[in-house]
Amino acid sequence: MRDRAEAHGSVNAESALRVCDVVKSFGHTTALDHASLEVRRGERLALLGPNGAGKTTLVRCICGRAVPDSGEIEMLGQPLPPSGGRHELGFVPQEIALYPDLTTRENLEAFGRFNGLKRGELHQAVDWALEWTGLADRAGDLTKTYSSGMKRRVNIACGVLQRPLILLLDEPTVGVDPQSRDRIFAMLDELWRQGTSILLTTHQLEEAEQQCDRIVIIDHGHAIAEGTLSELIASTVGAKRRVIFKLAEASPKLDGMTTDGDRRELVAEVEDVALELPDLLIRIRESGGTVLDLEVHPPSLHSVFIHLTGRELRE
Amino acid sequence: MIRTVVRVGLLRMWHGRTEILLTFVVPIAFFTIFAFIFDEQIGLGKSPRVNLALVDEDNTEFSREFVSALGKWETLRIYAPAEHAEGLFVFTSTEPVRELVLAGTLPLAVIIPEGWTASLTNPGKGAVNLRLLADSSDPVATQVVAALIRQTSGQIMGERARQQIRSFLSLSPDQFADSPVSGFATPVAVDVVDLFAAGKANPVVSMYAAGIAVMFLLFGAVGNSGTLLEEEENQTLERLMCSELSMTQLLAGKWLLMTIVGMVQVTIMFAWAQLAFGVDLLGHLSGFAVMTVVTAGAASSFALTLAALCRNRTQLNAVAVILILCMSALGGSMVPRYVMSEAMQQIGKITFNAWALDGYIKVFWRNLPLAELAPELTVLTATAIVLFGAARLLARRWESS
Repeated sequence: MRDRAEAHGSVNAESALRVCDVVKSFGHTTALDHASLEVRRGERLALLGPNGAGKTTLVRCICGRAVPDSGEIEMLGQPLPPSGGRHELGFVPQEIALYPDLTTRENLEAFGRFNGLKRGELHQAVDWALEWTGLADRAGDLTKTYSSGMKRRVNIACGVLQRPLILLLDEPTVGVDPQSRDRIFAMLDELWRQGTSILLTTHQLEEAEQQCDRIVIIDHGHAIAEGTLSELIASTVGAKRRVIFKLAEASPKLDGMTTDGDRRELVAEVEDVALELPDLLIRIRESGGTVLDLEVHPPSLHSVFIHLTGRELRE
Repeated sequence: MIRTVVRVGLLRMWHGRTEILLTFVVPIAFFTIFAFIFDEQIGLGKSPRVNLALVDEDNTEFSREFVSALGKWETLRIYAPAEHAEGLFVFTSTEPVRELVLAGTLPLAVIIPEGWTASLTNPGKGAVNLRLLADSSDPVATQVVAALIRQTSGQIMGERARQQIRSFLSLSPDQFADSPVSGFATPVAVDVVDLFAAGKANPVVSMYAAGIAVMFLLFGAVGNSGTLLEEEENQTLERLMCSELSMTQLLAGKWLLMTIVGMVQVTIMFAWAQLAFGVDLLGHLSGFAVMTVVTAGAASSFALTLAALCRNRTQLNAVAVILILCMSALGGSMVPRYVMSEAMQQIGKITFNAWALDGYIKVFWRNLPLAELAPELTVLTATAIVLFGAARLLARRWESS
């Protein structure tokens, strides 16, 4: 098994994976248009984007399943060849890519071998994976008999048996319950603490917010924003809170506030809730309005995402 | 890596017992049915029996002797109404028999008209011939019965001629036997010596074992090659292609697995043929082994090419069923090629069923040495290599975009 003496668990400036100006077209459709991103060593990076933004193509280019028309992909400082040379890269596809008519142990052994593990280290890796997934007592069961969450855990385990330095996960928690999701992220945290850099593509913005160090948002084939959540918020929607007042009846327009169609909702953006809220309430009351309820929304990844990619459906 | 692909395939097969049943047991059941059919009718030189009715309107001692002699041919099954099932039944008038032939109940009836014996002993008074009422949809039966009638009448009349000549010359039986006249008065006897069937246990069944085995080898291989499309559908192929496994290794592993399974399938089939029908497998082991390896290899390459050509399993199954049934029909897996026309036999050569069956026939039927299998082995090996190459080229679509 890999010597983990250099395991970090903290982000280091060195690049684990770097995608530079990658262009990939399919016929007249440009899937990647000078896409760039960087995963630093020991970092958990979330890759977000609407459907059809180019996430899957980017992941396929990194895995060697699609050949870029131009641009470069580097792993651990070395250019990646079009195929092969990816022993340090683990990949977990979005679908449950397992043999349903093999047992968990047989699946793990097969994918371990396909990922280059030899006999001794293979047994060790399989035993570790069974413990890691919490499925040691079900090792002899066919995976088709498993629940969705259990299959997801085995699906992830099959991608990390060789203990890669970089792990690509494509929506690893689709269709699982909150308990299974927690378990999966606990497993990934364990890997991350041991030094694995993680690139996670997801539509679960909450996961990106809570589980990742940095976020890259991709749209129309290229990265349109990247940074930590607070950096993204600062550079897009700003740090202001959104305050929504629900009124008993329609209210007249007030300066600095917007309203909805039947004017029973007023929306204001404030920098300091404690300082600005009392004044807003007084103004509403003086204008004849009666506040029934109010909500304060801090800026979130969701608002950043919508701000950057719009509300229009893509498919 | 290749070993792991094989191992995964074997494990998946092991966990799916139905697949094992379909791969190994169904061909045996199918073959057994065919073997019983041909064992009864063609195997060991037996021919299908011809149904016919006998009508003796002449009713003389000679005609009765003739009818009795005809009834002794094993090739003929003499018709009798249900109430006269015991013994040889002979009609005395033509009309009911004519109805039976017209109704399709019988393909033939032999009519001995009144005056037939008299016309034989006194030819100057005009000939009265035997008549065959025939259904022309079975021309072979007519020819067979006509030949048997000539042979039977020749034997009876020859014996009578011998007796009359001996009496005319006033010779004792021994004196007559030693005289040169005896030879000319004796009907010519023909002994058929089957150079291939002689001394062998069920050689014809071995041909059908090979025919059925090759057909199921193709079906089995296509079923197995479908896992390639299944892997594409359930995304394991995507995962495999992201691993250290190359497409060539994956195809080689699949090919090896299919070839091993195919060899086991054919071996089980022939082992059953030996146990149940006495086919001499152990006596032809080397020829059988060589033919089975190359045939299974070629079938596997064929199946891989089909899988690489098709977009999904449904398409593969549809294409495979049509192709395999056509190849099996043309190549002799269903009907022996020697009953086909020369042109059809030549067309059959485009299928590898024909080459495989020719090889097995050389081994089991003609007892030829291994060197004589060179044409079949060359064609089948070349087929395996060329089709594997084609499958590899077609599989580039799965590698990267």
